[in-house]
Amino acid sequence: MDQKILKKDQIGKFYNEFAGEYDFYAPINKKGSIVFEKIENPEDIVLDYLNSKVPPKSVLFPQEEVLFEYSLDEKDVEITDRQNLEQKILIFGVRPCDAYSFELMANFFSFHGNWEDEIYLKKKENSTIIGMGCNTPRSTCFCTSVGGNPFKKEDMDIFLTDLGDKYLVEAISDKGKEIVKKLSWLSDASKDDLKKAEDLAKKAEEMIVTKIDVDTIVKNLDTCFEHPVWDEISESCIGCGSCAYLCPTCTCFDVIDETDQYNNRGRRIRIWDTCQSCLYTMETSGHNPRNTKIQRCRNRIMHKFSYYPTNYDLLGCVGCGRCVSVCPANNDLRVILKKIQNIEKMESEKINA
Amino acid sequence: MPNPYIPYLTRVKSIVSENKANDIKTIELEFKNEENYKEFGYIPGQFAEISLIGKGECPIGIASSPTEEGTIKFTIKKMGTVTSGFHNCEVGDIVGVRGPCGNGWPVEEMKGKNIVVIGGGFAFSTLRSLVIYLLDEKHRKDYGKITVIYGNRDPGEVLYTDILDEWKKRDDIKVVLTIDREAEGWTEEVGFVAPIVKKVAPSSDNAVAVICGPPIMIKTSIAVMEELNWKDEQILNSLEMRMKCGIGKCGRCNIGNRFVCVDGPVFSLAELKKMPNEY
Repeated sequence: MDQKILKKDQIGKFYNEFAGEYDFYAPINKKGSIVFEKIENPEDIVLDYLNSKVPPKSVLFPQEEVLFEYSLDEKDVEITDRQNLEQKILIFGVRPCDAYSFELMANFFSFHGNWEDEIYLKKKENSTIIGMGCNTPRSTCFCTSVGGNPFKKEDMDIFLTDLGDKYLVEAISDKGKEIVKKLSWLSDASKDDLKKAEDLAKKAEEMIVTKIDVDTIVKNLDTCFEHPVWDEISESCIGCGSCAYLCPTCTCFDVIDETDQYNNRGRRIRIWDTCQSCLYTMETSGHNPRNTKIQRCRNRIMHKFSYYPTNYDLLGCVGCGRCVSVCPANNDLRVILKKIQNIEKMESEKINA
Repeated sequence: MPNPYIPYLTRVKSIVSENKANDIKTIELEFKNEENYKEFGYIPGQFAEISLIGKGECPIGIASSPTEEGTIKFTIKKMGTVTSGFHNCEVGDIVGVRGPCGNGWPVEEMKGKNIVVIGGGFAFSTLRSLVIYLLDEKHRKDYGKITVIYGNRDPGEVLYTDILDEWKKRDDIKVVLTIDREAEGWTEEVGFVAPIVKKVAPSSDNAVAVICGPPIMIKTSIAVMEELNWKDEQILNSLEMRMKCGIGKCGRCNIGNRFVCVDGPVFSLAELKKMPNEY
């Protein structure tokens, strides 16, 4: 049977089963924010959270990441490739929206055939995702509008449902089934447990009240590039880029060389970057193709809801609502999307007035 | 699936200063491992991410033609940290090279056609690559008439003067050089590129035009080409955008849903007209 029970006081035991073989990542409370970090002590794991402040993309695509290392001498250079890509990774306690974001990112990083991003893809391949349904979605969540669900299971290897003092454990992928089989100490789930999990899933879905018609938005974006609605949308933006940094599907990065002055050693690293920064597209000549806030805000929305669907037949948004809650100027993605959804209505109202 | 961010290592074989202002140099690179040169196989119009390890990386069009076997060349204007670093390079220094990146000029589709090359300023580098490729004895018979129109601010800014002299001696290519204003000793055309294109009036019959240069030159030349009955599909441009990775991952060179680094840098005017005006 693939459905088991993990008691909450067994998390430590669960961790110990994997800690040697895997780098075990899970949510912790770091200075008041929930973030995914490598766990050294299972008591640090926090699982009664709504969603993490920083998405778990930080595990497979960290804010700064070494591309390769180098050493320099007078007339030569030696390059050392990354050595640690084979390490097995386990990411525990991931929400369904974020689990789906791993699939989107893998899709993006493997696009353009000749140039796959080996670094991300290898890590993804060596990762096991143990996720968790959302009993109480946040008020900013809208995953059900973008093809998700607070109990969407298919992007995980193992799916957990919080049943109060225990978790229902469901093996989803073959990888997950292998693992559950090995954990012989897990007890079997009862019919009551399954029923309770089903009820929780139903209740959670009903709790998400935001409904956005993405099909209309995708269609409208095809023709509204020059529409004045972008003035309105970008008006309150201060260009801080928080929305992009904390977006589980944003993948843009900068590349820099960091050299140790004294030892002639260094590393070329990539760091998260954001299309909301005016320097992002600034060319050496001084020319900047996206010089205005309007252009930059438009690019973020177009990227996720128009360019992504055109290129990959997928939406570039998982509905986690992080950009909504983190924005210091209250520029709410849900409001932006509604405006685009209602463009035609706005037009006809204008004509009538 | 190797790490795509690791460059091939090359050594600087020669450095040539290309203009009087001495802020444009052509650097010739030799791969440390000869096998890498074969792996690198490129066509004219492609670019590479070249780097000074420890200083940084930048995208530069490949100025050499694959027919000039053994080495690759880049013509670099001194602008920022990395390009200034290249200007301080000496023969023997190590340079990292990743690529070739981008689509390049469609030399296969251009076969059997008359080719018109219009260039301005130091954007002539990938046009140099293209013309040398077309004139190579292995390829010349595959193409019709070749016309090159190349404009610069003043005589001191004309790149590749030795090669231009060689081309002028040949009877299978027409070379028209122009500078913006009269200058002492200059015997060729005077005037901006667009009016010279009008004067030369290349026929659009069974032809392809490749245009590379500053935006204003491209815009005015295209207007003239349209007057001369050229179709949008016949006019090719090579674009520039800020880039970091060169392989469609870092994000910043998108124009609409397309990335200049992998879908370009060469686009036909017909394609450009379908893309948002954000370049």
